[in-house]
Amino acid sequence: MISKQLAIKTLNTALQSGGDYAEIYLEETVHDTIALENGAVESLGKMQTYGAGIRILKNVHSVYGYTSDLSKKSLLKLAGDLAASFEGERIIEVTSVKNVHIKKINKIVHPVSKVPTSEKVSYLKECYAITSKVDPRLVRIQDNFLETNRVFEIYSAEGSQAKHYKNYEDRSRLVLVSMAADNGKIETWFEGPGAFDGWDFFKEKLDYKTLAKESGEKAIRQLSAKECPSGVYPVVIGNGWGGVVFHESCGHSLEATATAKHLSVFSDSIGKQIASPLVSAYDDGTIPNAWGSNDIDSEGHKTQKNLLIKNGICVGFLVDKFNGRRLNMEANGCSRRQNYRYEPTSRMSNTYIAAGKDKPKDIISDTKLGIYVTSFGGGSVEPVTGEFNFSASEAFVIRDGKVCEPVKGCTLIGSGKEVLMNIDRVANDVALGQGNCGSASGMVPVNVGQPTIRIKTITVGGRGGKLQ
Amino acid sequence: MKFDLFFKLAKEAGIEASQLSISRNTSLSFSLFEHEIDSYSANDSYQMSAIGVYKGKFGSANTQKSGKAAFEFLVSAIKDNAITSEKKEPAEIFQGSDHYKPGNYFSSALAKTPTKDKIALLRELDTKIEAFDKRIAPNYGVSYEESDTRSEFYNSYGLKLKERTNCFVIGAQVPVKEREEVREGFDVYFSNDLSTFDCDAFTKKVCNQGLSKLGSKCIKTGIYPTVLKKDCFSRILSYFLSSVSSEEIQRHSSSLEGKLGTRIASPKLTITENPTLKNVFRSAFDDEGVATIKKDILKKGVLKTYLYNIETARKDGVTTTGNAGYTGSKMGISYGNIVVKSGKKSFEEMISPVNEGIFITSLSGLGTGMNAVSGDFSCQAEGFHIVDGKIAEPISLITISGNLFKLLKTIKDIDNESELLYGGTTCSNVLIKGMNIGGE
Repeated sequence: MISKQLAIKTLNTALQSGGDYAEIYLEETVHDTIALENGAVESLGKMQTYGAGIRILKNVHSVYGYTSDLSKKSLLKLAGDLAASFEGERIIEVTSVKNVHIKKINKIVHPVSKVPTSEKVSYLKECYAITSKVDPRLVRIQDNFLETNRVFEIYSAEGSQAKHYKNYEDRSRLVLVSMAADNGKIETWFEGPGAFDGWDFFKEKLDYKTLAKESGEKAIRQLSAKECPSGVYPVVIGNGWGGVVFHESCGHSLEATATAKHLSVFSDSIGKQIASPLVSAYDDGTIPNAWGSNDIDSEGHKTQKNLLIKNGICVGFLVDKFNGRRLNMEANGCSRRQNYRYEPTSRMSNTYIAAGKDKPKDIISDTKLGIYVTSFGGGSVEPVTGEFNFSASEAFVIRDGKVCEPVKGCTLIGSGKEVLMNIDRVANDVALGQGNCGSASGMVPVNVGQPTIRIKTITVGGRGGKLQ
Repeated sequence: MKFDLFFKLAKEAGIEASQLSISRNTSLSFSLFEHEIDSYSANDSYQMSAIGVYKGKFGSANTQKSGKAAFEFLVSAIKDNAITSEKKEPAEIFQGSDHYKPGNYFSSALAKTPTKDKIALLRELDTKIEAFDKRIAPNYGVSYEESDTRSEFYNSYGLKLKERTNCFVIGAQVPVKEREEVREGFDVYFSNDLSTFDCDAFTKKVCNQGLSKLGSKCIKTGIYPTVLKKDCFSRILSYFLSSVSSEEIQRHSSSLEGKLGTRIASPKLTITENPTLKNVFRSAFDDEGVATIKKDILKKGVLKTYLYNIETARKDGVTTTGNAGYTGSKMGISYGNIVVKSGKKSFEEMISPVNEGIFITSLSGLGTGMNAVSGDFSCQAEGFHIVDGKIAEPISLITISGNLFKLLKTIKDIDNESELLYGGTTCSNVLIKGMNIGGE
């Protein structure tokens, strides 16, 4: 997007006041959206994100700025303005640029961007036709296809030879929303499978026909769900999207963004037991073609499979370059950002609790009275206190070891420190679910995941009184 | 005029009518950690959004590029998108309103104040927070952000509109620690007049917010009279406002369908939209170039209007309410400067009749815990016990749950401590008759 000469000049301008690291992140991204409303094409959207972010580090201080004007004048002005916030003599003079070869983890055979719009519209109409046959009480069905095609370049320098990385990311997502109405009640169901993959993922690997049918069925089922009881109960959490529990209760608190400034309950936890011995957990940015994967991170590091918890003992954090300086730890390939308007920082990618030995059905049958949560709408955490919350989008009562009536309006709350220690069963059925995670460096695609687990007791919020 | 080229290219491509919105933003931000600037950011961004009518259908696109190539991208995308659209509604570009309320919320004094003075202000706050109480944890952080936004609107009928706002936001995140318990105070102050920032008062407010939470306990599950702090109520209210969107009504995905002119909330509740109030949320025109107007949405509990853009207004046979807003590159519904009419009592007077209740001061997870369509919600909360009409001990790790529309009907009182909140709503604290509280 810019010449190597301009990159060198910009880096040198940025480093003029004693910065020990400078980086230019350049991006051109096209977001395409096709939206069907009750089977008809409602709108097509095309959005182009374009610009550059410049970052300078000096010890444990960082300056960052961005512009959507990639002209020489604009980049040099931005680099100069940012450098002016430091005082000092130059310690690095960049003289050359080396292209870095990137090993592709996420290979795409049939890029979604090459598929004609008409074929994508037909695919969405097929989904609509399946969902709409489920029940006449489905009053609104939305079928959307979202694509993000990003080309980015990074020039980074901490010595006389700068490194240059150039890569792309093609991520797409099918979004199905079903809305059911009956007798004044309205309920919705959302499905959003996605991947860093090509059209073959959607046509061949994804069972979109079953998904479209289930989307309608689950919205209808919610119409008859009773209000969730409230109190403190055993809770079994299903695999896949259930992993949002780990993501919120622990994952965010293990990001260096929080631990470096002691803003996390787990700041001093390396080597300490923070979870039940049944729990081991990973953040793995290298799963080929997964929604949260990357070939390299936003600083140019290769993505890694990072072990965070081993048999309940905290063994690692997610570390980016900047926060790694405070922690005296090496960056481990997890520095991410939504786009050039965000300074990159440590973020999760595909995070999951590893498989245990139990069978899911045994966990249910061994639970006398409790709640079984199979899907979540999302959740959030306050890393300082470790207190988290998740909202279930699908839950059932467990009575005498059997899954009984569906319940709605269920929230789980607790403290990360306690809930991880409280996991008393871990099954062998690990699966991943796709979501978008919002934090310091914007919204990034992530997979959450886990096998079926049981939390011995946790606070459940709802309007259904006491569980009986 | 440099945007004439866009309209020329659009016309040549067969686009019958079109509009172009341009947003330019410059911003500055920095934060202090352990008394030093640990991050500093200076930004400059630009975005063009265009909508056009091609063969009777709408097409839209946006880009952060500028110049001829960007215009060509927009024109090509408008045509491609219009060709595939299957919408039956007629497409039309608005020509212009007769009158627009003039004025900007822009302070040249703020723009001209040197950055070193702003850093000095933040250092003063940093020093005061540290000295406030020995339980303040050393890892607190303070930040300063300032933005200057220029909006321009043009259409192929020759309409030209401009607006400019600037604003600063000072924020503090203050963890407090006593023995093993950690709590946090967090607050922001925003304005475009630096002289209005009272550093002592802000320090006291944010530190006490954290300190007052120390020693917090859970509470027994039950139904309690509950006071929602103004910012908690305004967050819940935002879901009500999305249900007033005519788009949602026309798609049968709002619980307020067919409720126009009926009482849907407590007579204590009156909600007005006043888009041209002089503050950072001011806007004299919407994203279709329509002049914005002051209007009651809810008056003494009766629903007075839905929020319309041109297309949805035509469908209902009414006039647009000036609430068009981009969602992505597509036109949807938006609003700004919502005002909840305040009551007559002070906070203390309002809670004095409550024998036992809860004062909710913070909500977490409402975004995922709220079903925006049905209004059912359940989320994490913290606050204080109310005992014998007075604020008592702090409470944490509880849930509140209920239904938004039922909640609005059970508003018992609204106090007179109205404040413009960071988010664009002017609101007071609200007493709810009974709320489901999940705890022990």
